[in-house]
Amino acid sequence: MKKQWLSIALGIVTATGGFLDAGTIATAGEAGAKFGLGLIWVILVATIAIILLVEMIGRFTAVSKKTYAEAIREDFGFRFYLLPLSSELIAESLMLAAELGGISIALSLFTGISWHIFFPFVALFIWILAWRAPFDLIENGPALLGLVTLSFLAGIIALGGIPAPLIPTLWHPSFQQGTVAEYLYLSAAIFGSTISPYLLYFYSSGAREEHWSGASLLLNRVTAIVGMGFGSMGSISLVVLAAIVLQPLNISSNTLGELGLVMAKPFGIVGSFLFALVLFATCTGAALEVVLAISYNIAQGFGWEWGENKKPIEAARFNLVMTIFLLIAVVIGLIGIDPLQLALFASTVIALFLPISLSPFLILMNDPEYLGNKTNGRFTNIAMIGILVLAFLVAIISLPLAIITGGG
Amino acid sequence: MWQKIGMVLVLLVLFSLSTACTFTETAFTRTANNAGSAFAAAEVTLTYAHEGKITYSYAASSVVIFQSELSGTDQTLAAQGAANIHTLQRLLALFSPAIQVIDAPCLSNMCNWRKQREILNRASQAFLQAGSS
Repeated sequence: MKKQWLSIALGIVTATGGFLDAGTIATAGEAGAKFGLGLIWVILVATIAIILLVEMIGRFTAVSKKTYAEAIREDFGFRFYLLPLSSELIAESLMLAAELGGISIALSLFTGISWHIFFPFVALFIWILAWRAPFDLIENGPALLGLVTLSFLAGIIALGGIPAPLIPTLWHPSFQQGTVAEYLYLSAAIFGSTISPYLLYFYSSGAREEHWSGASLLLNRVTAIVGMGFGSMGSISLVVLAAIVLQPLNISSNTLGELGLVMAKPFGIVGSFLFALVLFATCTGAALEVVLAISYNIAQGFGWEWGENKKPIEAARFNLVMTIFLLIAVVIGLIGIDPLQLALFASTVIALFLPISLSPFLILMNDPEYLGNKTNGRFTNIAMIGILVLAFLVAIISLPLAIITGGG
Repeated sequence: MWQKIGMVLVLLVLFSLSTACTFTETAFTRTANNAGSAFAAAEVTLTYAHEGKITYSYAASSVVIFQSELSGTDQTLAAQGAANIHTLQRLLALFSPAIQVIDAPCLSNMCNWRKQREILNRASQAFLQAGSS
């Protein structure tokens, strides 16, 4: 019993860490700086969606003993499987480059050395961790460190709470001339950054790595609700901080350098380093999750040996994919685009491909051959259809909006 | 039938064109706004560094990021063109000293950081004003 609750605690911590990444930090900061509290509702809707999706993918894997990628290939065939795989490869290579950039900027903020110099070494650091570290360390290390995110909440309290004039922006955001498109673009990007398919592939594979079974369903449900809820709280806190600190200064948070100021105002030097630590922890966790999610996805889809707890020689192709994918991200990152802008763009690309990644869910979650009597009920099916409709809408508007607004 | 569909499409295009100005910013105002925001951020960074709210090395690495964000902005603005040529000339005149501050910020007690802050403030105000007009 004690062990099960320890697992639940760790699961919550992991989910909290997995929720926040360069994409959520970028979109939350920019949302608060430009529209006050006016985009918090999008984060709330996306949080409900990701809670439902994580619960479903965990239940599916625990009961069927199959990962999401394996099931897509088995149920829909290899040709169909290539669709979500290709969309994942495009979107997540951009996101991985953004995460590596986020870690580099965090180190740069600590040391004063240009983040470009850190970039290749950061990629090497992630490669070594992904290559050699056991699954438990990858899952829990950055996530525990990511709890520093709660300092955002402390920042709001230290600044005296949410100022009264800001509260009406929750339901009535103030638009400057010509910023409606930007508002819609950020909404799509928030949706894409919160419902990151890599999190689902990683979570599903993690459940197999930890040998989940029907007895793990409580752990799964608590992890999904409390963990994602905590993560969402971190994201919303950043929106509020950006609205309190950056908006009155006319700083629109186009770079991570601008965003770092939100914690310096309430806590001075300690606050600025706390922000750098949050950036380091969340981006390290997310970079590991992205690189592993892609390697899991490919290895499971192609029927290769896979597993982070196996020696590299025992799962050679799984580890080779990891290496190649990291190299692709390094090439993208070396172009020199600001990681925050890259994360925003990657979130838009994810939003564009979201329906492809999520559509198989509806069918798999209603298949008694996989789930026995644990298939979706009426409520979860209606919610799933709602999420898919939203994902289609977001996909349709995301690319035109990215072009119109010049990427936010 | 097709005539009606064509009519609806034409009306939709006209509606989009007529509302486009409230729906999205022009490229020029977007560039001006982004530059204004970056200059404002640089000003606050410089102030915080001298007030002891952030370390000089933290400020230095932030400024490097602003530098890449602002690089080439003057050429972009000139290429995009403003509705008013005087506005463009004024912005370009303010951009030059401000970018010099970004390239060599005063991050010690040995230089006049208040003067640099003033230059950044003037530039950020002008760019933000141009971006909102």
